[in-house]
Amino acid sequence: MKKIHIIGIVVIAVALAVVVSTISNSSTYAPFKTAIENEGSTFHVVGKLNKEKEFIYNPEVNANLFGFYLVDNEGLEKKVLYNGSKPQDFERSEQIVVVGKMDGDEFHASQILMKCPSKYNGNQQDQLKAVSGETEAAS
Amino acid sequence: MEIQYQGEHLGFGVLGNVLIILSFSAALLSAISYYFSFSQKSEISNSWNPLARLTFGVHAVSVFGIIFLIYYLIHGHFFEYYYIWQHSNSILPMKYMWACLWEGQEGSFLIWTFWHVVLSFFIIKKAGTWEAPVMFTMMIIQTFLASMLLGLEFGGIKIGSNPFILLRNHSDFANLPFIQMADYLSKIKDGRGLNPLLQNYWMVIHPPTLFLGFAATAIPFAYAVGGMLTGRVKEWVKPALPWSLFGILILGTGVLMGGAWAYESLSFGGFWAWDPVENASLVPWLVLVGATHVMIIFNKNGTSLHSSYILCTLSFILVLYSTFLTRSGILGDTSVHAFTDLGMKGQLLIYMVFFFVLAVFLSIKNRKLLHTRSEEDPISSREFWMFMGMLILVISAIQISITTSIPVINKLFNLKMAPPADAIDFYNSWQIPLAAVIALLMSMGLYFKWKQTDMKSMAKKLLFSFVVSLLITIGVHYYFQFARIQLVLLLFTSTWAFTANLDYFIRVLKGNIAKSGASIAHMGIAFILLGSLIANSEKTVISQNRLNVDLGKDFPNNENILLYKGDTLPMGEYYVTYKDKIKEGIHIRYEVEYLKANHTTGQFQKEFSLFPFVQLNDRMGNVSEPSTQHFIDRDIYTHVTYAELDDKETEKKSNEGYKPGKKYQLSIGDTITTSNSLVVLQSLNKDVDKDLLMLQESDLAVAANILVMDVNKKMHQANPVFILRGSEAFNRPVEISELGLRFAFIKIIPEENKFEIEVSEKEGNAREFIIMKAIIFPYINILWVGCLLMIIGTWIAIIKRIKKLRTT
Repeated sequence: MKKIHIIGIVVIAVALAVVVSTISNSSTYAPFKTAIENEGSTFHVVGKLNKEKEFIYNPEVNANLFGFYLVDNEGLEKKVLYNGSKPQDFERSEQIVVVGKMDGDEFHASQILMKCPSKYNGNQQDQLKAVSGETEAAS
Repeated sequence: MEIQYQGEHLGFGVLGNVLIILSFSAALLSAISYYFSFSQKSEISNSWNPLARLTFGVHAVSVFGIIFLIYYLIHGHFFEYYYIWQHSNSILPMKYMWACLWEGQEGSFLIWTFWHVVLSFFIIKKAGTWEAPVMFTMMIIQTFLASMLLGLEFGGIKIGSNPFILLRNHSDFANLPFIQMADYLSKIKDGRGLNPLLQNYWMVIHPPTLFLGFAATAIPFAYAVGGMLTGRVKEWVKPALPWSLFGILILGTGVLMGGAWAYESLSFGGFWAWDPVENASLVPWLVLVGATHVMIIFNKNGTSLHSSYILCTLSFILVLYSTFLTRSGILGDTSVHAFTDLGMKGQLLIYMVFFFVLAVFLSIKNRKLLHTRSEEDPISSREFWMFMGMLILVISAIQISITTSIPVINKLFNLKMAPPADAIDFYNSWQIPLAAVIALLMSMGLYFKWKQTDMKSMAKKLLFSFVVSLLITIGVHYYFQFARIQLVLLLFTSTWAFTANLDYFIRVLKGNIAKSGASIAHMGIAFILLGSLIANSEKTVISQNRLNVDLGKDFPNNENILLYKGDTLPMGEYYVTYKDKIKEGIHIRYEVEYLKANHTTGQFQKEFSLFPFVQLNDRMGNVSEPSTQHFIDRDIYTHVTYAELDDKETEKKSNEGYKPGKKYQLSIGDTITTSNSLVVLQSLNKDVDKDLLMLQESDLAVAANILVMDVNKKMHQANPVFILRGSEAFNRPVEISELGLRFAFIKIIPEENKFEIEVSEKEGNAREFIIMKAIIFPYINILWVGCLLMIIGTWIAIIKRIKKLRTT
């Protein structure tokens, strides 16, 4: 057997290992229901902020605890606790992805990803809002 | 009846559209002419060449014209054009106007096109017989890029997105009632403006650099394809080599600038976050570095031709893939800075697939010629280990690509995979060992000789740098106590990569700069690895908040700290004060002062002030930017993670009541903080003047001598008195009205030798606060020095290759 063949086999083996490790380490997008059924495992939950309910953020008591209510895509609402300060412009987010796990009746998030439509190129509605605001001001 | 709109300047749009169509058709014509120029024999081909150049010229002028026109429109605030309205406004400073140009997809395609044109000038001037085949590919690329601006629609299929579309014709506006009014333009007061994240000097220089790097990968690709088309299957490598080195230089700089931008202005809290967009530009670079190394092997001994071809084409196709990832909207939830979909997904896909199929087809067609001699390189040869290095780089690129492509894999197989929960950790667990191997190869690489190496003499030469690196590693590890073995391994190999290449430069090359490209560039990469290793693994969050409720080790919640205005808190070796809030236009700057305690005088001395700020932007959301103090051996990064932005103009101090006090048990010499001062219990005074306090002779009275230092370092004294009358204890509190503070001496705890002091603050003292995070990045400058060395070394290598090209 030639050296090049051995090397080839090793490279293929490593590439396979990469694929396996990516699959086994990857998390899953899931609704709260799945997260509740598998308490303790990490999930990515996509949802919308319940803007009716108040945030839990009292920086003077604890600057590193931020809580809010998230409604997932199946309509289930859970309280989410995040171990950090309240992200800038949290109220404006359209869609939120929380990464973490269920703990009792609360979801403990280690990461929050916000999708603010206005921050990058923007979507239609937001632009309409922006302009209609202006026309009101002008008229 | 048609509406006569007022105040519009339609001429620019007409001109712009003419230029767009011209740039597209001229590129296509030029490609065709160049094709005939190299495919036809002798005389006919000569007549095609002038036409090809002429049409290229028309294309070049149109591209410059479009860019100039858009810039002019941004500058003149012509908001009747959607692109101008969307990306700029009238209050934007001059320096950011260029950033408006490339904020949108259309503009960033233009910048890319622009660089291809500029590089094409050099090809036409210098490439000689390679002009036609190389320019043919370049012009096909340009045709594809120009089509991205066409903005045509055929039966629901959209081709390109036109930057000159009028606001009133854009689908977002066309149906709004006010658009039907003739004077609608007067209602549009201003544009949406530039994304606040991009209003930053890095955003003026980073995108053009990155796009020049992208453009540079097209040239080795064009040479490779041109070589296959003209049957010069082997000859393309030599002239392509300086270009691929140029690509390494510029793309590498662009990627690092992106890291610098993230570090300086984003709140990532670090230099590299394995963000999908960062990864998408790193992967082509890694492959290009691999490509360059096998091209050097081919130049030397005629092997690895097939690998050179595959990697050169792959790095360009990965650039296209990277634009596909960032522009198709597919990254969606996984990246903070991907573009939204403009409906050009299909077009981008066709663009990528076209060149991929072309490259594969040519490779199969020429597979016999591409196959070089079959005998093997001996294990003691330099080429063998260079090839190994290339393989490691490719594995590293594969790992990054697969993980970054999870959203694409989901789309293809209809899965619901999400990126690893701790993505950074996952990438590091693969990339740190791979980097350690790369560094090991870099340390020994140049000591291997081509064809065959005398291992004994090589070991002898390497011994010195090996021992030095081992000692350095032991010392550094002793100092930092790295938690993971991979880190120690990378520490050793990257240190050795540096010292061995330095040693090579001094002892083997005897300081000959002209030949030192590889050794200096390798030193640079070694420093980049070393710097990011130390700065990232040893960064310490000094804004530790120890008072919080513990939620378990999986849920650490102590990295942000609350700082009242005027408050001073210890952080690491510093004391930090939030001094003031300054509003300047759209920025609110927070003055955060770092102090150090002088142990001889007991005073605080100001070390430096930082001004992290929040940029206000009603429409796109406020953006908070960190501020960093740079020292030679470390950086101190300060970020305001939360702040109340409205002014709490409090009428305070005078007549409000006190809040319930806080009780502290103190020993002599203890220090506590209030919201606006530092309080030290200095001593006790048992010799109280009882007459003055109107006490009885039999009373036992002790006064506490309390020193209070306010924000302005003014000293105040307070002497609350504790009184024992018989078995009954009471006290005389003391007020410092200037600070809204009241002190009471509540009791004495003799067994612990402690004294209980109650401190009350006025309501008005509940002032503004910020929540901040402070991180120390040690030795991050090693990283920046590494970047410089990498740039210098690569530049030297380019010059050497160009000289070689001229002499042969």
